[in-house]
Amino acid sequence: MPRPPARPSLLRALVLALVSLLVVSSLAACSSAVKEASSGSEDSGPTDGGTLRIGSTNDIVPASIFTNSSDAANTLIGAVYDSLIDYPQDSLDPQPRLATSWEVAKDGLSITLQLRDDVTFHSGREFTSKDVEFSIKTWADPTWTVQLQRTAAAVTGFDTSDPHAITLSFDHPLSNIFDLLDMLPIIDSESFDQLKEGKAYVGTGPFVFTSWTPSSKLEFTRNDDYWGDEPHLDGIEVDIVSDPQAQVSQLRSGQLDLITGASNRDLETLGKDDSYTVTPFDGSVQQIYVGADLANPDLQDVKLRQAIAYALDRQRIVDDVFRGQGTPINLPWPDYSPAYDAKANETYAYDPDKAKELVSQLGSHPTIPLAYSAGNANYEAVAQIVQSDLEAVGIKTELQPVENSQFIKQLIGGTFGGLWILQHGYAHYTPSTLAVSAYPFNADKNASHFVDKQYKEDADAAWERVDGSDSGAVEIYQRLNKDLLDNLFLIEIALLHFTVASSDQVHDLGMSKRGELDLDAAYLSK
Amino acid sequence: MSESLLDVAAPEASDPDDQFDTRRRPGIWTALGRGKGLAGLILIGVVVALGLLAPLLAPHSPTEQIPGANLVGPSGAHWFGTDEVNRDILSRTLYGIRTDLLVVFLAVPIGAAIGILVGLVSSWWSFTDVIAQRVFDLVLAFPTLILAIALTAFVGPGLRTVFFVIVAVELPVFGRLTRTSVRTVREMPYVEAAHVIGAGSLWQLRRHVLPNSLEPLLVQLAVSMSVAVFIEGAMSFLGLGVRPPQPSLGSLIRDGVRNMYDAPYFAVGPLALVVALVLGLLLVSQALAEARRR
Repeated sequence: MPRPPARPSLLRALVLALVSLLVVSSLAACSSAVKEASSGSEDSGPTDGGTLRIGSTNDIVPASIFTNSSDAANTLIGAVYDSLIDYPQDSLDPQPRLATSWEVAKDGLSITLQLRDDVTFHSGREFTSKDVEFSIKTWADPTWTVQLQRTAAAVTGFDTSDPHAITLSFDHPLSNIFDLLDMLPIIDSESFDQLKEGKAYVGTGPFVFTSWTPSSKLEFTRNDDYWGDEPHLDGIEVDIVSDPQAQVSQLRSGQLDLITGASNRDLETLGKDDSYTVTPFDGSVQQIYVGADLANPDLQDVKLRQAIAYALDRQRIVDDVFRGQGTPINLPWPDYSPAYDAKANETYAYDPDKAKELVSQLGSHPTIPLAYSAGNANYEAVAQIVQSDLEAVGIKTELQPVENSQFIKQLIGGTFGGLWILQHGYAHYTPSTLAVSAYPFNADKNASHFVDKQYKEDADAAWERVDGSDSGAVEIYQRLNKDLLDNLFLIEIALLHFTVASSDQVHDLGMSKRGELDLDAAYLSK
Repeated sequence: MSESLLDVAAPEASDPDDQFDTRRRPGIWTALGRGKGLAGLILIGVVVALGLLAPLLAPHSPTEQIPGANLVGPSGAHWFGTDEVNRDILSRTLYGIRTDLLVVFLAVPIGAAIGILVGLVSSWWSFTDVIAQRVFDLVLAFPTLILAIALTAFVGPGLRTVFFVIVAVELPVFGRLTRTSVRTVREMPYVEAAHVIGAGSLWQLRRHVLPNSLEPLLVQLAVSMSVAVFIEGAMSFLGLGVRPPQPSLGSLIRDGVRNMYDAPYFAVGPLALVVALVLGLLLVSQALAEARRR
């Protein structure tokens, strides 16, 4: 008869517990030592070499490369191209880049720019004033649906007699001319046909485009002949990872060094981990908003739009979805903008009772579609909170998740047919840029189908000025603010900052005011 | 996926006595009353009961956003915690079962009924057979998720799309299975005898052919129902399924994965229920298949 297994004695159990404790402690010590070794990448100054692997949510679309509608396209533009001037993050004071100096005529009808004479394109061709003319004319071409198309088209004269200087003439003064010069990438005319097909992107920037595998990756190498300080990185690889959650996982597993699409919830979590760095860029802001397509008869009554504006609990959206990294707003401007008005910015403070009262004056109305970009956790959460807030005051909506590229087409084509949730930029530039350029705001043609004589007059008045920040301009911006608040074709929710997450080995990241990663000085520690 | 399902429920050589007749073949019903069959039915029963009793069991509405309860961990007030827009996960899970049950017990039988009808008709007349088989080939050529993505591009995401996809996926499975069974049964002497004495095609189909082809279809039905749970889950996980704020087990798992690092408890409840439902349906199908082979 087999002997039954002996029951462990108290002594044996104690020994077992002690050994277990010892093993667990040793493992913990080992793992913390490993972590210390791996995460303790003490920064000993810039080092050369390495390829920075960036996770981007949306691939480039060659036909929309200049529309600021994809994070991968923004990275490409920032890496490959140079602009004529650069705005610092916190002001609209132009700084030299390809243009070394400039002079605006007193009547504001022309500007003369002196250009660098030591710059070559990646093809080896010399950069001249003709390239500035070509780039502006490309942006003025409606085919490219560039948001600053109207401003580019307002440049009507080009004096390129000096290859290293150019005089641009305008039909009327352009208060936002430096915005154009900041955003405009200088494009190589010789390879332009290949640019249209997505085969070549030739600029004068710090990195050279080498390949694009659609829906997979973009690759760049260092421009050894860069006119500025030579970049530290050997190259950049932009991996298209459409799922933001997958981006986070790939960052955690070391497959990516930097991600641009993480939700604020994930950014908060990564920020608590010493192995990662979360970098907000305060000067590059975006505003999340609810758009209203006035082609839908149900949205034409401004009382309904006012009810929506009062019904939104913006502070809750900022706290719960954006984890406190934002500011509730009624108007798009950041506080350093000449159009900023603190009092007007609280016109539609959260007031569900007032919203209910407005809705009761409207009588019955059908369910309104509420579209948002699918697959983005932030948008999905905001859409559900907005839907709940509106339902609480008697406005029924139906959520419509739309694939991102389709969503951008709807924005550009103005085919939403109801409400939509998205982010816009440009409010951190000269205020007229927003009113005459951004798809949702453009007084000539916008995604809301909002046409208003007064709004157009005020937008044009703000635009057709020499100075975009003097007292006369501020007076016009007050009128523009009234137009925006009275008509509410766009209902602002919150002002947000561009934020990226990276491994602790990535250093000296920058971001332009345009929202493009600035990797000129970035490096990877060993 | 579909081909393997056909393998699972591949029809066996028909025997005139091998009818779906409870008086002579108690095995099938007996199989459901013991062992795997009983375990499967209990699992399905528990999940169905939780879904049906959701209005009584759920502490909150599935869409209620509770002030101040943002991603709260499991507690007495919220057994499964709360989600990123302050909703009680337990309540959403219980109501989410209903969405899956709707898909399982409505979309699959509809797809099966249409498939069986098409299979019967196509197997009886050769010209309809050619058309039906090519259509089936076309549908089966698409992996389920590719079909779902294509269909979503046309009709947009939502429960309706999940229904369409499941019906479209199940239709050829049941059509092919019915056709194979019918082509075997129709060669049986008793069917020929019915034909000789002047019985019409429809009568022969209804009286002899269909009843004798039911067994493999029943097994397939249970397998297809478990697959439907996966399809709903996969579509909702990819954002092609039910639209927010409507809950489903798949969409809850997706939300759980999004919060995996901070709130690992989020997906546990929905995952356990999906496992229970799928396991229950597979156990039932296995019990039925084993009973057939006896």
